[in-house]
Amino acid sequence: MAIDRFLQPRASSWMANNGEHVDIAMSTRIRLARNLEEFKFPYAFSEDEALKVDKAISSVLLDKGKELGYGFTHINIEDLNDLQREVLVEKHLISPYLANSQHSSAVLLSDEEELSVMVNEEDHMRIQSLQSGFHLQEAYDIANKMDSLLEEHLSYAFHEKFGYLTSCPTNTGTGMRASVMLHLPALTMSHQINRIIPAISRLGMVVRGIYGEGSEALGNVYQISNQVTLGKSEYEIFQDLQNMTEQIIEQERRAREALNANSPLLLEDRVYRSLGVLTHARLLNTEEAATCLSDVRLGIDLHLITDVDMSILNELMVFMQPAFLQQYAGRPLEAKERDLARAELFRERLADNGINTKGEDFA
Amino acid sequence: MICEQCGERPATVIVKQNQQGHVTEKHLCHVCAAENHSINFSFDQDPMAIHNLLANWFPKQQAAVSPIRKEVPTCPFCGFTFQKFLSLGKFGCAKCYSTFSPQLVEILKRVQNGNTEHTGKIPASYGTTLKIKKEIEELRKQMQTAIQGENFEEAARLRDQVKVLNEKLEGGGDVGD
Repeated sequence: MAIDRFLQPRASSWMANNGEHVDIAMSTRIRLARNLEEFKFPYAFSEDEALKVDKAISSVLLDKGKELGYGFTHINIEDLNDLQREVLVEKHLISPYLANSQHSSAVLLSDEEELSVMVNEEDHMRIQSLQSGFHLQEAYDIANKMDSLLEEHLSYAFHEKFGYLTSCPTNTGTGMRASVMLHLPALTMSHQINRIIPAISRLGMVVRGIYGEGSEALGNVYQISNQVTLGKSEYEIFQDLQNMTEQIIEQERRAREALNANSPLLLEDRVYRSLGVLTHARLLNTEEAATCLSDVRLGIDLHLITDVDMSILNELMVFMQPAFLQQYAGRPLEAKERDLARAELFRERLADNGINTKGEDFA
Repeated sequence: MICEQCGERPATVIVKQNQQGHVTEKHLCHVCAAENHSINFSFDQDPMAIHNLLANWFPKQQAAVSPIRKEVPTCPFCGFTFQKFLSLGKFGCAKCYSTFSPQLVEILKRVQNGNTEHTGKIPASYGTTLKIKKEIEELRKQMQTAIQGENFEEAARLRDQVKVLNEKLEGGGDVGD
């Protein structure tokens, strides 16, 4: 089945590790919300309309996507079981909202997974462009080109004064949400993040932590995105976000330097303890794994650890999530079984990377 | 909006939790958010639970019914009433934007930081003249920013672009991209 390749624990292009500030800015996303003029929006449309919307959007992407160099695979959400849907959510390829969709909805994924077009989510179409590192301009250019191609063949709901019309008035105007995922361990450890978050919200941007399962959480990863979509051009929106992100990156760097200068031994101890846990633990829950991953990332950035490849950590962050572990195991797993599977995954992947993961060598 | 946890400070962070498909939402202040370890994070979230906010801004008695005509505005295309819009926080179709236009500007102001007019991208099919006019406006703004930043080379480049666009406009708008 065509979907299979997207469910494998195989790295999406946005998990690669390249680009400026990649030590702190892990990935960038641009999302454009669009609706077709002649159909009711998803909160009001009929199943028949939903199918027509899907057909209209999909045929353009499947026929014309090649003009921009993208091959797309069309996946009906209702053809997926719960686990498969969850895997796509964990990979950031679809939203939780789409995964729980009650009507005909679909996602079109590009071969390299850098573009995903959700059909009949909250809007008829959500064009999502994902890039590794800090690349707002590039991510926008890709989404924008795809949008321009689609608008040649589809008639968008657009208003001279209000711009692109969306289901939710928080998206009206550009329909654009730009986000950057940031790894901020030093700002978190020093509690400076508690001062930064409210300051950012006052400037029309939002900060959220990222990923985790239920009460287990996080790993010092935050997502910052624009809140306002109207009254600013796309360029102004991502320029504002760009400036803000650069400032946060700068503050994180300073906090790291301070940490390294004030307590180098404590820091080194923490980093190596975490590497030890990841390479030798037999049970790992999400929270502990996320915390240790964060420490090891920091260790690599500060050149304390030199023999672990960062892109493997990026992949592990995604593949250690519950649905992926179960997909990998080929069966449903209880929480305890997942902790076992997660620990095995880390030992396996880090061993492939040349790290000693055999406890007995130290006996 | 006040923080749901401490009930004192203003809520600045929205926390959405997805446990086996059940999504719950909390509006927290930054202090409670920092303490809250059950935060679950994912890429696709609305920045705010809009319908909660709307319900507060438009109290029921004045929301939908005009006191003179005793008529509930209903969208002729999708059948959404203003009440339904308030409870969902979502529009049913593009026509809702004109059906509910008397209230719309106020709503947009609230959720869009006071902004009510689109200044970004325009679909190519939407008329070349409007597109060029908006583009010029946008370039002028960028030019101002460049000048303020003493980035004169960039400003000159933008000025030339504006000139080209102005010529296009005067030429009657019959221009391809």
